[in-house]
Amino acid sequence: MRADGFSSAYGCDNFVFPFGRGGFRDRGIRSENPSIIARATAGANAVSAICCAIVHGVSADVIGIAATPLDSRLVDELAAIVGRDGIVSRPSELKVYECDGWTVEKNSPDLLVMPRTTEQVSAVLKALWRRGLPFVPRGAGTGLSGGALPVNAPVMICTSKMNHILAIDLANRRVEVESGVVNLHVTNAIKRDGFFYAPDPSSQQACTIGGNIAENSGGPHTLKYGVTTNHVMGLTLVLADGEVVELGGWAEERCGYDLVGAVVGAEGTAGIVTRAVLKIVREPEDHRTLLATFADVEAATRAVSAIIAAGIVPGAIEMMDQLIIRAVEDAFHAGLPADAGAVLIIELDGLVAGLDECAARVTEIARSAGASEVRLARDEAERAGLWKARKRAFGAVGRLAPNYATQDGVVPRTRLPDILRVIGAVSKKYHLAIGNVFHAGDGNIHPIILYDERKPEEVRAAVEAGREILAACVEMGGSLTGEHGIGVEKQGEMPLLFSPEDLIAMTELRRVFDPMERSNPNKVIPRPGSCVEVAAPRRQVPI
Amino acid sequence: MRAPYAHEERAARIVAEPADAREVAELVRACETDGISLAAMGAARTLGEIRKTPVALGVSLNRMRRVIAYEPADMTVTVEGGVSVDELNRTMEPSGQRLPVDPQRPDLTCIGSLIAASHAGPLRLSEGTSRDLLIGIRYAGRGGKIVHGGGRVVKNVAGYDLMKVLGSSFGTLGIIVEATFKVRPVPEHYAMALARYDDAERTFEAARALNDLPLAHLEVLSPAAAESCGFDGKYVLLAGLSGSRSEVASQYAAAARMAPGARLIEKEDARAAYACLRDFDFLSQSLAARAAVAPAELASAMLAADAEFVAHAGSGVAELFLNRMPADVRATVARWREIARGRRGHLRVIHCDPEVRPSIELFDLPNSGAMGLMRRLKTAFDPAGIFNPGCFVGEI
Ligand SMILES: Cc1cc2nc3c(=O)[nH]c(=O)nc-3n(C[C@H](O)[C@H](O)[C@H](O)COP(=O)(O)OP(=O)(O)OC[C@H]3O[C@@H](n4cnc5c(N)ncnc54)[C@H](O)[C@@H]3O)c2cc1C
Repeated sequence: MRADGFSSAYGCDNFVFPFGRGGFRDRGIRSENPSIIARATAGANAVSAICCAIVHGVSADVIGIAATPLDSRLVDELAAIVGRDGIVSRPSELKVYECDGWTVEKNSPDLLVMPRTTEQVSAVLKALWRRGLPFVPRGAGTGLSGGALPVNAPVMICTSKMNHILAIDLANRRVEVESGVVNLHVTNAIKRDGFFYAPDPSSQQACTIGGNIAENSGGPHTLKYGVTTNHVMGLTLVLADGEVVELGGWAEERCGYDLVGAVVGAEGTAGIVTRAVLKIVREPEDHRTLLATFADVEAATRAVSAIIAAGIVPGAIEMMDQLIIRAVEDAFHAGLPADAGAVLIIELDGLVAGLDECAARVTEIARSAGASEVRLARDEAERAGLWKARKRAFGAVGRLAPNYATQDGVVPRTRLPDILRVIGAVSKKYHLAIGNVFHAGDGNIHPIILYDERKPEEVRAAVEAGREILAACVEMGGSLTGEHGIGVEKQGEMPLLFSPEDLIAMTELRRVFDPMERSNPNKVIPRPGSCVEVAAPRRQVPI
Repeated sequence: MRAPYAHEERAARIVAEPADAREVAELVRACETDGISLAAMGAARTLGEIRKTPVALGVSLNRMRRVIAYEPADMTVTVEGGVSVDELNRTMEPSGQRLPVDPQRPDLTCIGSLIAASHAGPLRLSEGTSRDLLIGIRYAGRGGKIVHGGGRVVKNVAGYDLMKVLGSSFGTLGIIVEATFKVRPVPEHYAMALARYDDAERTFEAARALNDLPLAHLEVLSPAAAESCGFDGKYVLLAGLSGSRSEVASQYAAAARMAPGARLIEKEDARAAYACLRDFDFLSQSLAARAAVAPAELASAMLAADAEFVAHAGSGVAELFLNRMPADVRATVARWREIARGRRGHLRVIHCDPEVRPSIELFDLPNSGAMGLMRRLKTAFDPAGIFNPGCFVGEI
């Protein structure tokens, strides 16, 4: 089977692509039919195929891992490590874990394990290692690219019971946490003392530090303060064979290679992170939060460019378009101008001394870009209201259509007007409503494509539309993902950005940590598809 | 190909000056085939320090100094590896932007070595290091393949982070031929608050209080360091204030409250003092090392070390130095290293006498688990062992 897959790979006609171009890609662990690995797909993109072939070349030894059926002895052994209450094996209960926030593809694990300590994680991974079983790490399952979807990984390891903040050290500006700690809980624990943890994904009430590390997550305020990788100083990592390694630490400089930097953003393919030392930031002296109203998104994006060009570095610049504004207003009555074409939430922070001056400049810039109104949040309550509206936008969208898929492209900031035009055209072409709520200051777009899963042609159209937008991002000199990761969702697009050589180097890097590719297999780097069934998509978890 | 200049002799036996990435790749391929060691070099300062013996082939990026794409409105810049930090900043100056990483002698520091040796200066407190600003990289790696990671946009998580891997790898994984950075606006105003103290404890105490302000930098200098920067005598605290006029004024007012007696240095004087601080020449000392510890423990580390120092107070990083050779260099380094390790950190020797170099581990050794992974990384990226071999952590 392996040899087959390999040689046919070089023939470039046997690739099953993530659906879209090459039809729906089947994944999952349930197939016992090896021939599926070498299933032919019509219309496979040649570049992708060659690329896969070469990467496949380096990884020919691991492609052939077939899931060994789980035996009850394994379940007993794992239960002895984590306790019976740390194991879920009933299919009905496992269904909860069949997907993350990327709901288009689904596949339940055969077994879920919830360890409580690093030692337990290590013991569990050793047991799996002896049997040659791959696994998939999972935090809160809010990922949007299918990172926590089991693909040829029968066992899921969830960090939900590793949720303790271990140390708060304000003098050193460090917090040490277990990886299952929820993002917002970190800031909540230090807020009183005037500190915060800067990366603030909109899902921060639910997502975990481990998930943030895996995806190198961002958020509105990472425009000024940097994303997860800029705030992770040290890690405890359990490798696929169970070895526990400490990387980085409390100091700013690294000793030897920057392995922490390599693990952050590795999407769970380097092993399981069990602990992290995070850098925390002093709360700025004060904020000014502005809501600028525009007739259309063009004008709003012009304002974004002009603010950046003026040498102003706001804490955040977020944009919402008409569809999103209406949805948020209908759902939460947040006080947004319901008839606006677009709004920007612009937050300035820093010393009180400079803020009013800066706010006045931003107001002027926004006005000359065409803002009909620029409103300053008068107090903390109003400010909190604006942010609540922004962070609940995804939830509000849930009311507009049975389903939606969130994309995560990036363009150079000056190309925002162009990409928004493309999104408009794509929306028309596929007859799908697309809303935009995104991190405008970074050029990080989040088109939200609305569809109805009960209509297969709409599902297909939604996926196609997403791909078309991403391809346009790349064409404009941008990227496939600014913060959600490649996961399974965008694997097929990787060759748009990276050459076979690049992908080989990346594969080599991953194998430094995980030579057998047992930790979260079949993610990030495109490779020949395997196995079965794409379930109908369903509603996305609103947060 | 040419013979090394005098200042390159400790770094390489013979020097090539490729004109572009393709030529670098060809050199790598040729060296790999013949098992010849090679290393990229800029001004060859760091390479000269860390090599025990010169590499066979030094790859000077001197001819690769093009600014490939500068997009002021996007605040990104793509450059070849041989451009110096100064040149780059001069290109961006008319647009009011800069790469806010300030290595010692930015005129001599090329982008490749800025990244590979992770040089940084006082501004690391407010702006971070090249690690935080590097968004794309291109390097000639194993087999002479040109590999790229990241891209040209400021936010990007597509694929594995090769920028981090090549950063601070000291040339042991490949030759960086091109880099893309996000850049920052040059602050409107810059000034410095300077306070003098009789003892180190009080200086660090003041620094601790000041660290709550959003300062550009926060430095504590020991007497010899202060003196050679032109500040007489005692322990000196230098807080960088930047922003609009009113922000600078408000920071100074706060600084003067927290560090009574702090004097304001402005305009040309401030810039000159800053340049002096940034360009402090550790390489002309007898022995110099960089310690990185848990930030709050930097003061106690400096007090224990019994050495002169330039301490980047908010960051927990400091350069220690002696201007006279200690009787037992190894013992001194070992003692400093213990001090750093005892404070959750580590220490790297950045300069020592060439004669004692072979007997000293310049790089601190990571724990054995991490070291194991590092060896695997080296083997994966450089199976032939030709990239600057034998002088990085664990003799990698
Ligand atoms: C409504 C909504 C809004 C969002 N907004 C943002 C946003 O603003 N910015 C942003 O960046 N993202 C955002 N996201 C995406 C998502 O929340 C982030 O990617 C988040 O970091 C995922 O965390 P999680 O704990 O849910 O991880 P999961 O979804 O459980 O897992 C994500 C990946 O991490 C791996 N993983 C999890 N834990 C570990 C561990 N301990 N060790 C190793 N690997 C691990 C998994 O295998 C998987 O590959 C949003 C999602 C939703 C649903």
